[in-house]
Amino acid sequence: MPQMRVIDRKKETDISTYPPDLIRNFSIIAHIDHGKSTLADRLLELTGVISKTGKNKQVLDKLKVERERGITVKAQSASMFYEYNGKKYLMNLIDTPGHVDFSYEVSRSLAACQGTILLVDAAQGIQAQTVANFYLAFGEGLAVVPMLNKVDLPTAEPERAAQQIEGTFEIDASKILHMSAKTGLGVDAVLPSVIENMPPPLGSIDQPFKALLFDTWYDKYVGVVCLMAIKDGSIKKGDRIVSTHSKQKYEVTEVGIMHPEPSPTTSLQVGQVGYITCNMKSVSEAHVGDTFYRDKHPVEALPGFVPAKSMVFAGVFPIDADEFARLDESIQKLTLNDSSVSVHKETSAALGQGWRLGFLGTLHMDVFRQRLEEEYDASILITAPTVPYQIKYRDGTTRFIRTPADFPDIHTMQDNVESTMEPFVLATMIFPERYLGQMLELCTLHRGEIQNHVYIDEARVLLKCRLPMAEIVSDFFDKLKSKSQGFASFDYEESGYEASDLVKMEVLLNNEAVDALASVMHRSTSVVAGRDMAKRLREVIRRQLFDIIIQTAANGKIVARETVKQLRKNVTAKCYGGDITRKMKLLNKQKEGKKRMKKFGKVELPQEAFLTVMTKSE
Amino acid sequence: MVPFSLYVHWPYCTFLCRFCAFSKARVPAKGVEHERITSALLKELRTSLAPHKDKVLQSIYFGGGTPSLAQPRNIAQIIEAANSLVPLASDAEITLESNPTSAEVGKMRDFKQAGVTRYSIGIQTLDDRTLARMGRLHTGAEGLAAVDRARALFPGKVSFDMIFGFEGQTLDQWQKELETVLKHADNHISVYQLTVEPGTPLFRDRNAQRVVLPSGDLSAQMYESAVEMCTAKGFRHYEVANYAVPGSESMHNMGYWQGRQWVGIGPSAHSRFIDPSSNQRISSVRLPDIQRWAQHCEKFGHGTAKSTVISDEDAKQEAVVFGLRMLDGITDRRFAGVSGGQSLKDYLHMDRVQQYVDDGYLLWNSADAKLAPTERGLEVIDSILIDIVP
Repeated sequence: MPQMRVIDRKKETDISTYPPDLIRNFSIIAHIDHGKSTLADRLLELTGVISKTGKNKQVLDKLKVERERGITVKAQSASMFYEYNGKKYLMNLIDTPGHVDFSYEVSRSLAACQGTILLVDAAQGIQAQTVANFYLAFGEGLAVVPMLNKVDLPTAEPERAAQQIEGTFEIDASKILHMSAKTGLGVDAVLPSVIENMPPPLGSIDQPFKALLFDTWYDKYVGVVCLMAIKDGSIKKGDRIVSTHSKQKYEVTEVGIMHPEPSPTTSLQVGQVGYITCNMKSVSEAHVGDTFYRDKHPVEALPGFVPAKSMVFAGVFPIDADEFARLDESIQKLTLNDSSVSVHKETSAALGQGWRLGFLGTLHMDVFRQRLEEEYDASILITAPTVPYQIKYRDGTTRFIRTPADFPDIHTMQDNVESTMEPFVLATMIFPERYLGQMLELCTLHRGEIQNHVYIDEARVLLKCRLPMAEIVSDFFDKLKSKSQGFASFDYEESGYEASDLVKMEVLLNNEAVDALASVMHRSTSVVAGRDMAKRLREVIRRQLFDIIIQTAANGKIVARETVKQLRKNVTAKCYGGDITRKMKLLNKQKEGKKRMKKFGKVELPQEAFLTVMTKSE
Repeated sequence: MVPFSLYVHWPYCTFLCRFCAFSKARVPAKGVEHERITSALLKELRTSLAPHKDKVLQSIYFGGGTPSLAQPRNIAQIIEAANSLVPLASDAEITLESNPTSAEVGKMRDFKQAGVTRYSIGIQTLDDRTLARMGRLHTGAEGLAAVDRARALFPGKVSFDMIFGFEGQTLDQWQKELETVLKHADNHISVYQLTVEPGTPLFRDRNAQRVVLPSGDLSAQMYESAVEMCTAKGFRHYEVANYAVPGSESMHNMGYWQGRQWVGIGPSAHSRFIDPSSNQRISSVRLPDIQRWAQHCEKFGHGTAKSTVISDEDAKQEAVVFGLRMLDGITDRRFAGVSGGQSLKDYLHMDRVQQYVDDGYLLWNSADAKLAPTERGLEVIDSILIDIVP
């Protein structure tokens, strides 16, 4: 996270000279890899915020995991000063996360803007996320200014892309800017276009202070740092502010803009976007979407946000039970800066104490896992990603199933349960026409219900399909990409619950059920999944001093059986004086390997066993 | 008196076996520089044995390479020099390894004269095709003949090596081979599974899939046949890969498994001893390249390449790991030598030991404080060791 420096009064910038009409708050929304971060870099360079050296690649993507995957995870903002037509403007670029999992973060950032650049890759054209984000921005009442990027590519077809934009969003194609963020071509026209085509923020300096909290992060020196969009009035150090949500009062210790690092200013005024520190101790006190006002001058609250809903759940356990306390601390630290992860402590009969974490999507989960393993050096077991199934009881009550252990047993099912339900999503896929057959097949294979498909231009199809969420939480996206040779793009939104024939798949080792390997799935997949699971477990479980019988059972009925035969003999070669050192080294290495195994009864399971249950082979 | 052992590595061979990972070289075209090598060995011997004057030499083992290619008078020189530094015990065992080719078999009498008391012959297999494939220039018949000759000269003191698990070998073939060699056996046999070591021609063959070795279960059956057949013939399976008529166990090798101190001389030889001046347990190894080793011996008096200190934890681990390779296992008394008094039951994960005892893999005698493997346990001892040793 950006480092907070000790305040230096002499270095505070005075930005009170920027009234709303000289301010533009805008964001850039785009499909992944369409060049959002590169454009942001270019604009920062252009306005002198960062220097024009090679090292400034994707400045705003600060996290290592962001740079590795080329995605933005945390929304940040950067303020730039720009002279146009003899006037000095304050341009606030509010960054948005670049993945469908983070649509929640996208809408939070959009509420702080008045306009957005819709960036489209001139070679790829409109993709599913372009569409989704457009409607998000449009829904917020933002001015959408489309621009074409990567026009320098030999495969670029700007006219065609412009036509697509006109066709899909009813925006005049001739008004669309052409640029290449990479080479810099056309980039100087961007800010003028923003100034001309996007409205300045509304609000009055004379009205009482009113600000929208749209993001926070935790800094170990100053506590919680709040990113706010000032809707009315002004704020400076020493002011006392109040949260509408919690009614808690805070004293402002510093205000400033992100330039791109935190730069203190004398004050923040109506229309401006920047950060405020106020000795807030925990991010749980900061509610995104909250309205802040000056003490004793309450205001009408801004429309807030609904908290992000977790879509994908996974069990997280330390491999070594002794590491629980340290892992607890690491997870707390990591979630300090990511309040969209839901955390519930959980105890598994098999794996001991752990957590059930809820994520916005599989990418969100994977990024989190990577950060936990790399930044906090954690050795963890991750159990199957699940979706929140629901049970509807005969007496009308409903209950969420967050772990397979919650799944009702046969008797309860017969006597008290009316139906089992699973969540559905409405998916949008865009791909070249020649893959239509494959895409339709993929959807049907995954229990999807095709809603419709339309041609968005002569070559491409937009397919809308309703799918069980369970079908998309593991490898659906990868299959989509491979069956369309990478051309298909994908986005989805929640679409309610439906009754569904669900079963609990259990894994038994030597007749004992291993809770940690259980999963819930649709009956139609259970036989194939059960057989596949048993086979793959047989491959990863190493031979031990006794036979291991692996069985998979769906709702108590055995569907597959495999055996790992007992180990009869180690390679007990000769061992004389010269072999001693080598043998001891080998032995100790094997002991280390054993530590990474989890014992269930007498059976040792390597981490691969849990991953086997999580993924499906082709 | 503290018992001590000497290992001598004689690194030349006339043929190179495809599975051998020892440090060796083919006999050079102009012949072996016998005097030079012996002189270097003697230099190293003097340097390394001198600190241990107060001990008694229980065994000398000539290994390699092919020590039976050495000149008997050089062997005599080495034995004499050793004795003059660390006196030989009256029942000291002096073993020489040999190959069954006739030139070597003919020298037996001279080696006996030089002081060798025990003969170990590398038969490996009776199947001539396998011998040829492995690069060994002798036949199965020659192997048996060598054993017969050795028994005449060293009655009760002859051992030979057999290997199972060659490509294409069936259980039936192995059992028949074993039956035949057992008819010629003296008082000691070593039986190993063919092991593929990195850096050997066999390793490369396997990686290139030019050779396919028997499955784990087949080699288990072969191992079990060896146990059964040798035991039936009156041999005691006293160590994982070694069988002996009681009383005729290899004294030198028992030293390795029981933690006796020893010094190794010659290229790539290992040593393990307590340095009298520092009282530290040392593990060291000599340079592997013959020429470089010889130069170092000439210049510095020894050709040590690396020397490390063995910690008490390491020593304790080793005592258990090697002790449990023997059917007699390990007792607190022997363990005390490296544990500073800590008992086995305080050192090991006794709950797991108990589980293995219950399941028939280990035997624990609390009165004698002795831990030993059963035959079944010995077969999977490596898995058990990882579990019970901290």
